[in-house]
Amino acid sequence: MQTGGLCMQRVRITLQPVVISAAKPFTATACQSDNLVSQRRFFRCGGLSSLQIRPLASVAEAPLRRHRSMSTVRASVEENGTPVSPFLTDAAKLIDSAKTFIFDCDGVIWKGDKLIDGVPETLDMLRSMGKKLVFVTNNSTKSRKQYGKKFESLGLDVTEEEIFASSFAAAAYLKSINFPSDKKVYVVGETGIQLELKQAGISYIGGPEDGDKKIDLAPGHFMEHDQDVGAVVVGFDRNINYYKLQYATLCVRENPGCLFIATNCDAVTHLTDAQEWAGGGAMVGAIKGSTKKEPLVVGKPSTFMMDYLASEFQISKSEICMVGDRLDTDILFGQNGGCKTLLVLSGVTTLETLQSPDNSIQPDAYTNQISDLLSAKKVASA
Amino acid sequence: MSSAMVSVQLNGTSTGTPAAATPFLTDAMKLINSVKTFIFDCDGVIWKGDKLIDGVPETLDMLHAMGKRLVFVTNNSTKSRKQYAKKFDSLGLTVAEEEIFPSSFAAAAYLKSVNFPSNKKVYVVGEGGIQLELTQAGISHIGGPEDGDKKIELAPGQIMDHDHHVGAVVVGFDRFFNYYKLQYATLCLRENPGCLFIATNCDAITYLTYAQEWAGGGAMVGALKATTNKEPVVVGKPSTFLMDYLASEFQISKSEICMVGDRLDTDILFGQNGSCRTLLVLSGVTSLDALQSPENSLQPDAYINQLSDLLSAKKSASA
Repeated sequence: MQTGGLCMQRVRITLQPVVISAAKPFTATACQSDNLVSQRRFFRCGGLSSLQIRPLASVAEAPLRRHRSMSTVRASVEENGTPVSPFLTDAAKLIDSAKTFIFDCDGVIWKGDKLIDGVPETLDMLRSMGKKLVFVTNNSTKSRKQYGKKFESLGLDVTEEEIFASSFAAAAYLKSINFPSDKKVYVVGETGIQLELKQAGISYIGGPEDGDKKIDLAPGHFMEHDQDVGAVVVGFDRNINYYKLQYATLCVRENPGCLFIATNCDAVTHLTDAQEWAGGGAMVGAIKGSTKKEPLVVGKPSTFMMDYLASEFQISKSEICMVGDRLDTDILFGQNGGCKTLLVLSGVTTLETLQSPDNSIQPDAYTNQISDLLSAKKVASA
Repeated sequence: MSSAMVSVQLNGTSTGTPAAATPFLTDAMKLINSVKTFIFDCDGVIWKGDKLIDGVPETLDMLHAMGKRLVFVTNNSTKSRKQYAKKFDSLGLTVAEEEIFPSSFAAAAYLKSVNFPSNKKVYVVGEGGIQLELTQAGISHIGGPEDGDKKIELAPGQIMDHDHHVGAVVVGFDRFFNYYKLQYATLCLRENPGCLFIATNCDAITYLTYAQEWAGGGAMVGALKATTNKEPVVVGKPSTFLMDYLASEFQISKSEICMVGDRLDTDILFGQNGSCRTLLVLSGVTSLDALQSPENSLQPDAYINQLSDLLSAKKSASA
């Protein structure tokens, strides 16, 4: 189902039954759930988009069937096969067609703590051409302010107000629904989320401090929890442990109306530039497993941040180009928002993955890294 | 109730129309006479935490005396069969190790059934029960509770090494769950070709202490499903692996089995998936309200308050 010109991530997924024949052992295959977008376009679980999009070696044909029936995925899904995203040859044309560029950070601007080369010049060029630049990252470990410092330490001139981390998104979401001032948030995540909540005037408990707490399972032991917790916010948490899982579970299951909010559902993330590391999706997946509830996802590919910044900066989505390295968060985010999309291969996605028959998310174009856009400057001065 | 469970239920019934309400069991003797084997869940049926539910010893004795085979199937993977036998013993119940089938045992049995190569290892995200069963089955393993104290370092350029001989990751309830294990298991599943992803069970919550519900094995499994985008092979209830295993082991026909449990989406569904009779007890996690709720579509053949209600058969026999 589409709404206006927007491409909604409305995915209807059929359940695969458990095989019970004696000849073959059980297989709990594709145990998905409905991923319908709510009226306010907050996703129940954006993480499922990653389920349907990434090549799933262990699940048979189900994902391909789902892709072909997904008429909501923009133009790229057709009966005769998916048109492959072209390499960007005319950077000047793309740049002219957009007033605002939204950049993902990890894999686009930097990798771990290393700046990707050519980035400063590219950003300077776009600014000098009058483009608005915005940075949207699913990484909730830092606050906007802390990201501002990171940009600065890498020699980039980016203000806090141009940065939208999913930590900020969680706080912004709670403000947008008038989260009651007598309620608290239980944080399963890192300091970025805590700082943003504080900035928004929202009380919270939990966070890294609970990382050292153990549980006591003596007979009759009872874990208390704060009945004033009105929301659990879950993001990447390197200090995840059973105490936090249980605390969050009690809040969601027992505090009436307690919200379950996920900053993002990324399966893996480049915490260090050397390797993929289990991402925020793990913490969210754990609490989904213990509560059997779907979270409201505020990070990509949910359009919450897109709507927020479009409203904040009064920009039209059709004049935005989303640049990212991940198909199921960045590109889908851009497509869901009705924007142009450009994939870079300097991050987690390879050309193979983009062109794989299992992939049905096709950006408008792809390029190796954002400094390829500098070719527009050369054309202009040619 | 997760919708996936509902799907399985609908698969089992022919019409998909709302099931009729489960009756209270009035004729225990009739039920007992119709079956040769009883499969019991443990938590909420036999015991609650470390406390025996009253009337259980007499009920089990009565069924034994009537020539019934008794088998115990639990999703709790924290103990091995041997350790469960000790627990039964400590509660004054005479149950042999061979009559107990915890999901820890199921994981090892499954790996044997697929001829898990002897040069491969298992990475364990779980507790001692899984490790003991793997050792018993002659399967090498690493991980487990010992990795619970390991921290990760995220310095620039840091790489976590992992053993390329890990051919399976077995995930169950783990009170020592942490990021190190999560990442190690993720690397094995994503990077070791053909690495199996096995879940002992997916229970959302469990009564670790009888005072409260505690986040269950479903949490650990949920975390790894998310990082790998893979579905695990589930060996515990409601998967029929253990049902198939014990039916084959004891040469019993599933139509002559009655599954007795306190959870609809594991015990009762397990029984229904295996085409057995099903009896729900209200002495555990499921209340009468939950059973009769319009949102519930899993209807056992009958329900009773607790196991000792079956003793009415004895009374009717001697009446």
